[in-house]
Amino acid sequence: MDGSSEDADLLSRIRADAPGAFDEFVARFGGRLYAFGMKFCGEREDAKDVLQDTLLTAYRSMGGLEHAEAMTSWLYRVAANACLMKRRKGRFEPDREISLDELLPGPGEDARVQIPDPAALPHDDAVREETRMRVRKAIGDLPPAYRIVLVMRDMEQLSTQEVADALSLEISAVKMRLHRARLMVRKTLEESYAADGRGKGRV
Amino acid sequence: MSGRHVHGGPECVALFAKLSEYLDGELDPAACAGVDGHMADCERCREFLESLRRAVTHVASMEAPELPENFKRDILSAYVRAKGSS
Repeated sequence: MDGSSEDADLLSRIRADAPGAFDEFVARFGGRLYAFGMKFCGEREDAKDVLQDTLLTAYRSMGGLEHAEAMTSWLYRVAANACLMKRRKGRFEPDREISLDELLPGPGEDARVQIPDPAALPHDDAVREETRMRVRKAIGDLPPAYRIVLVMRDMEQLSTQEVADALSLEISAVKMRLHRARLMVRKTLEESYAADGRGKGRV
Repeated sequence: MSGRHVHGGPECVALFAKLSEYLDGELDPAACAGVDGHMADCERCREFLESLRRAVTHVASMEAPELPENFKRDILSAYVRAKGSS
């Protein structure tokens, strides 16, 4: 979401509730926020609900922002809240933090890497789609408080500070949850490929 | 593996907590060199780091579909309805 002068112009039009301002707002941010909702929720209808809640809520409250530069983090904040509410987890705090010990490789885990090398995946649509399904499931299996951090950092490429601001978390908590989320995804994928036995799709 | 190091000790466990920061280039040079040195000597940790790197890369390369036009129309209609009722 670049184009700070465009954002400043849009924000002033939103403040004035100018004709067409909402349409412009949807055109400017709708695609990215829908993609964010899809990455977190994994379902089109859920992502649509998240998008609608986010756009309507943010549009009403956007006038209170002092600077256009704050629009993106504000939108992510509203969208993250909508995602977590959608999953009936209306808070950023998990029931408990997952310990690193739980994510260490087990003694029975094969030392060899089972996850295929992304850079060496065959150009075969079926293999690539199967890989995407596994990754999607591994992300979907994450507890929401961890998944939201992974989606924002590794999929939306937000900085640690931006995620901390959007979720009202300390930097250390963002780093801790990101690391655990990645370890959980790794573990799920390793187990998924190991369970194949054949190392299907392995490179 | 050199044979001097047996995987699973406190050194491996301590390193385990730092791997994301290592991958993200957020460790200070001394800590980074410490990880590099350990990796050179511990094949299991090296394999583990590689599997984590692959998992992160798979996640980062996931794409999301574009916003369907009919969804956009529905949201614009919802806005008009909400505005009309306020």
